[in-house]
Amino acid sequence: MMNNPTQPDLIHPGHVACPGCGAAIAMKLALRVMGPKTMVVIPACCWGVIAGPYPQSSLKVPVLQTAFATAGAAAGGLRAALDMRGDAETVVMAWAGDGGTFDIGLQSLSGAVERNDNILYVCYDNEAYMNTGVQRSSSTPYGTRTTTTPGSGWKRSRKKNIVEILAAHRIAYAATASIAFPEDMMRKFEKARQMNRGSRFLHVYATCPTGWGIASDKSIHIARLAVQCNMFPLYEVENGMAYTLNYQGKEAVGAYLKAQRRFRHLSKDDIGHVQAMVDEDWDLLMQKVSR
Amino acid sequence: MKPVYIGRTAPCSAACPAGEDIPYIEYLASRGQFREALETILKENPFPSVCGHVCFHPCESACNRSHLDSALAINALERFVGCWSTREKMLPSIPTAPTNGRHVAVIGSGPSGLSAAYFFCRLGYRCDIYEAENEPGGLLRWGIPAYRLPMATLKHEIERIERLGAQIYCGRKVSTSFLETSRERYHAIFVGCGRAHPIRMQIAGDVQALDGLTFLKDIRNGNKGVFRGVTAVVGGGNTAIDVARTLVRLGSHPIILYRRRIQDMPAFRKEIVLAQQEGVDIRELTIPVRMDSDAQGITLRLQKMVTDGFETDSGRARVIPIREDPESLQVQQVFTAIGAEVENAWQQPDNGSFLQLSHCSLRNDGFPIAWGGDLVNQELSVSDAVASGKQAVMAIDSCFQEGWGSVKKRLEDCRVGQGSALSMESYLKNDLLRRRHPQIVGYHDINTAYFLPADRAEPVVDGPMERKASFSDYRSDFTTRSASNEAGRCFNCGICNDCDNCRLFCPETAVSVADTRRIDMDYCKGCGICVVECPRGVMTLEEAEHETGS
Ligand SMILES: Cc1ncc(C[n+]2csc(CCOP(=O)(O)OP(=O)(O)O)c2C)c(N)n1
Ligand code: SF4
Ligand SMILES: [Mg+2]
Repeated sequence: MMNNPTQPDLIHPGHVACPGCGAAIAMKLALRVMGPKTMVVIPACCWGVIAGPYPQSSLKVPVLQTAFATAGAAAGGLRAALDMRGDAETVVMAWAGDGGTFDIGLQSLSGAVERNDNILYVCYDNEAYMNTGVQRSSSTPYGTRTTTTPGSGWKRSRKKNIVEILAAHRIAYAATASIAFPEDMMRKFEKARQMNRGSRFLHVYATCPTGWGIASDKSIHIARLAVQCNMFPLYEVENGMAYTLNYQGKEAVGAYLKAQRRFRHLSKDDIGHVQAMVDEDWDLLMQKVSR
Repeated sequence: MKPVYIGRTAPCSAACPAGEDIPYIEYLASRGQFREALETILKENPFPSVCGHVCFHPCESACNRSHLDSALAINALERFVGCWSTREKMLPSIPTAPTNGRHVAVIGSGPSGLSAAYFFCRLGYRCDIYEAENEPGGLLRWGIPAYRLPMATLKHEIERIERLGAQIYCGRKVSTSFLETSRERYHAIFVGCGRAHPIRMQIAGDVQALDGLTFLKDIRNGNKGVFRGVTAVVGGGNTAIDVARTLVRLGSHPIILYRRRIQDMPAFRKEIVLAQQEGVDIRELTIPVRMDSDAQGITLRLQKMVTDGFETDSGRARVIPIREDPESLQVQQVFTAIGAEVENAWQQPDNGSFLQLSHCSLRNDGFPIAWGGDLVNQELSVSDAVASGKQAVMAIDSCFQEGWGSVKKRLEDCRVGQGSALSMESYLKNDLLRRRHPQIVGYHDINTAYFLPADRAEPVVDGPMERKASFSDYRSDFTTRSASNEAGRCFNCGICNDCDNCRLFCPETAVSVADTRRIDMDYCKGCGICVVECPRGVMTLEEAEHETGS
């Protein structure tokens, strides 16, 4: 699955993602696992543009473009339609940004997973509304400058913990994944694909060189640092109860923050504050892992 | 910008006098492909086992891995690969050109002569080797004690060269007249007879002293002398250490007398430590000034020296005598190991016009003659001798093919990195697919996120008591598994090992693999992720112009 040069990727070259786009890498890795028997539901977001306007498409699998708030509902509906046709094999994969997941799409996602619709919902998280020019979302971390939290008004509230929200729905599988850990990420997609019943949720870290102010060649490097400093821990939650940690980060957050223009204004104290929040979140997670 | 697979040179390869493709050898060894690893060594060096035993491995000092944890055990791995092939009775395939009708003579069957013969044969020459002694091997045969280089190991590798067609004539000491008559019989000559004439101390009573190399040769011949009591060994090179360690094994207590400080000794550091562990004493800053023999043995008068803060021309600390009365040392025997000179004038390039290369000197008045090995080398090591034979063959062959004027350019094109090491693969243009770029991979080119720290595997070395008790080899080999594991620590600097990161991470799916990796420049946006995520410095970003392949 990982290293098969004869298996063509299910994504065409020539799409319009920015150079070094982490979301493009995320989709490529995901589809390597999901395979051709997949239908992708995409609400408004960068990927809506990258996938291209009908009848053109950069994906070699069917795509349903939906309204911004409706990925969860549309995916559930598509699943019902496939079931009526007796197609149990095709997997429905909703693929939404953080804006479409944490904010505007949250109620339709919550509805779908509360009904336990048989879908895989993937949030590729670039931590702001990138497609419309870097507006803050509830996924934007503390300390970030965006176009709606500019200058000294940088974001003072924490990033929402979306996996906890999904785990609270007691769905069978919720996990985080990162493009810098492709093996781990692809294993999780495989696990979610094989379940093929009930709702599964994957929260995928996807670097955005354009919105974050980093060089395009550092996409993977930054994603790796995020995991290594526990900003973005890799873990899985089964049935909302059983937590498994996949990677033990040991680095401090400083190097991660300093490498990005969106955090460059942070003082030593601010960085200390971020570290304290990360440590706090980590301790909480560890309590759940060792429970 | 466009990403390109350039394939840089590993620092170890550039530091290896023989220019071995070490990252590729370790790549093969890590996959258990020991036959292929051996054949890859043999492309550049006819002596995998010998060098695995005696090489001073400058490769390991240059190894990038030392910045992460510790250098790769390149030398022990080479030894493993060599010995494994002997154990398995494996006959490697050695590509050889069809005969070119030329006949060459090699004078001396030491490491440089054998290396020259090996490469001559591979290029299609018919080759005769003339050896003064009754067995081939030169210093490898007579000068290196058996505990460092077992006889069977040497024999095995000499036989491999003979199998390629080299004819060795032993007991045939060559003279000036040979050089004159050989023009009619041969097309070229390589002179690699080493320095056979020991340098004497030039002090009163020095006729009593025995020559160290002659002594080693005696022992190698099976003459087990008994040496009791204290003996003195004068010198600081590898021969002095070899003599002292041999004396220890014969029951004596040797004291090395060296004119400079221990840290100035030209002997290999490891050997000095092993010798000291075995009970060899070293008196630094000491020279004998007179020898008197009587019934008790020999009384040496010793002069203490001191460094005066200056350096000699060769960059070593200069020493001057201390104004202090010499002390005496009572010993049973004195051995000298302070170097050797050439025996006859013809054994060195004359004053005529000749081309001075890093490892050989070449004259061509229509009949090419090359002088190599210890006759001309700066560093008197086995691997430099190998380099010498190889360089001479390349130079002579270029002479025949494209004329005298082409030699420098041809050799320049075969350099490994920026040093003096040359690659026969480059000379034969066999490396076009993975051409070694002159740029060296630095540690900053390695993406260390892909390498976890791991302990270096060391072959087991017997303790000093066991070592002293015999002349047998005291290092044990890796097992196949520990060899593969150790080779797996190699970063494989600068060579693509199909890790597939470039293709895995490309957001554009612009990287494809058929027989080589290609980047479709119609779709590459030049993000550079492939370059940064290449673990081993194979790729670079260049100004975009046209399409490229690896
Ligand atoms: C109801 C609605 N409001 C606003 C928009 C405009 N819009 C399109 S994409 C987008 C941002 C999406 O952000 P996110 O979901 O985080 O995905 P990203 O673009 O960052 O990948 C917005 C605000 C819209 N299409 N529909
Ligand atoms: S890691 Fe391997 S290729 Fe790199 S310098 Fe060391 S031995 Fe050579
Ligand atoms: Mg977003």
